[in-house]
Amino acid sequence: MCKWLLWMAVAAAATGQPLPLGELPRGKVVLIAQPHHDDHTTDYGMGGFIARLIENGYRGVYIRASNDEKDGRNGYAQNDIINLREARAGLRHLGVDEVVSLNWRNDFMNPIPLNELREQLIFLIRKYKPDVVLGHNPWEHYQKNPDHRNVGRALVEAYWMAGDRNVHPEHFALGVTPHAARHFYGKGRLDWGLGQQSNVAIALNETQQRKKELAIAAHRNVYHNPGAKKAYLAALAGEGKALPELAAVDDNTASDLILHWWMNWISRDIGRRAGVKYAEDYYHLDRWDDLPGLRNYLQRNAR
Amino acid sequence: MRRRQFLLAAAAAPKTVMVVAADARWLECCAGLVARQLAAGLRGLLVRVGDDRLEGWNMPPEQAAWRNRLEAEAAAKVLGLAEVVSFGYPASELRNVPHTTLRDRLLTLIRRHRPAVLVIPNPHTEHDRNLDSYYAGAAAEDAWHAARFANYLPALALEPYVTPEVYYYAPPVDPRRREPEAAAAFVPQPVQVDISPWFAQKLAAARELKTVNRARAERLRERLAAAGQRLPLLATVDDAAAARLAEENLRGLAALGAEGSNYALAEEFRYAGVEYGIPAKYLR
Ligand SMILES: [Zn+2]
Repeated sequence: MCKWLLWMAVAAAATGQPLPLGELPRGKVVLIAQPHHDDHTTDYGMGGFIARLIENGYRGVYIRASNDEKDGRNGYAQNDIINLREARAGLRHLGVDEVVSLNWRNDFMNPIPLNELREQLIFLIRKYKPDVVLGHNPWEHYQKNPDHRNVGRALVEAYWMAGDRNVHPEHFALGVTPHAARHFYGKGRLDWGLGQQSNVAIALNETQQRKKELAIAAHRNVYHNPGAKKAYLAALAGEGKALPELAAVDDNTASDLILHWWMNWISRDIGRRAGVKYAEDYYHLDRWDDLPGLRNYLQRNAR
Repeated sequence: MRRRQFLLAAAAAPKTVMVVAADARWLECCAGLVARQLAAGLRGLLVRVGDDRLEGWNMPPEQAAWRNRLEAEAAAKVLGLAEVVSFGYPASELRNVPHTTLRDRLLTLIRRHRPAVLVIPNPHTEHDRNLDSYYAGAAAEDAWHAARFANYLPALALEPYVTPEVYYYAPPVDPRRREPEAAAAFVPQPVQVDISPWFAQKLAAARELKTVNRARAERLRERLAAAGQRLPLLATVDDAAAARLAEENLRGLAALGAEGSNYALAEEFRYAGVEYGIPAKYLR
């Protein structure tokens, strides 16, 4: 045992620690690949970052891997159609016009042939040639949704494999070429214990925060809840409390207001960790993340 | 009687260190540790799960797989490993191999060779974007666990076996890899292993992986060129330049592995030894 150095340093809890602010990566195209219609903007990512990239000259492409048949109360087929339409509407608030739907079955992504989904993502990365890839952090802890975990796994492999000409060479006959994106940002929840081990925060301004709130509100099939006002006020009354601001508006406006409060709070909470008003947090893999032994050498010698 | 003969035979044989590898990256992660174990008198066995068919440049995957098998065997010889077993599963496709199939093949080898030390990919590491290591590591860890139970594969007629020491390896990309677990027992703890005396041997073994080194150098040159960059070392990519790049990589990794220690060159692992099964307070 004396030949080894046993690490016994006390580990600091990651959640709540200060986060470094990340620079906006340079580039022209961002590809966002997620399982669901609404994953472009939820309480734990990415709409603000997408809006900021688009404002800085990026073009965006959103890949919806599933058919979202379970989200909503309209039956499978109708849910699919409504959710796709609302994804387009939400993404337009962020400045993204192109949505590609792969239509794998919603909430059935554990048993799907994941290497086939990976191949689709490799092809799309080769086609759109993104500088930045956004998706779910496949190493997020306590992720219960198999769609998030599995699309994240397929995507993080597609991210490096798309640049390797030995991978799916049959694609090249279709006019695409190998492409290695330079950045991967993975999102995850930070409110599930040590759910998301982030390493960077992306600051948002008021406009980007506002776009993010509009983008999620566009998903009325799953987020619009006119019954929420009555339920919240009744619960508060039971504790002897009142919320006049909510009581003063109609049920539809109250639903939007609650969504606004929720989204605003989470961006402020992450912003606080990074010393800015609003932010989102990510796990960032940069271009040399797969070559830890060469990182310093490349920084010194690549010109 | 049969059992007694078996035990006598096992006692006479040198102890074995068994290395499980998803791909050619095993050498950068643990070749120093393996050389160290072999120098201490252990016999070495390398099990290659994937076939490294993507690690070639301008050649069909079958040719890359064949060359990489021969070159892995040559590298193993330089390190002093006695045997290499190649399962031959296509690289990047390990997700499609049933977990129990892979586990049971590894379990069979564990019961047959009864290794004193297992060195396996760490399936619990985070942020390694090559997930073959995850699938091979998960099967290897399960094989280590299951090999001890008589009800697993009784038809093999091989004695159940517990490997007393396990090293989990991974490329150093997980920022939390040095954080100790909450308890010393039942979870592998981070260790750094001094490889300074064996580093030259590790370099010599890496030089044998000509096809892998060449493919990596060409890919890196292409990645840099796509960003309008170049590396003077790769102005001309030949075997010498590729070997030099591999050496820079190994030096960089060994320096990273030694960070925070008094060692010049090291590798880092998660280690499950005797304290894994018996809490330290009972060992005193
Ligand atoms: Zn989702």
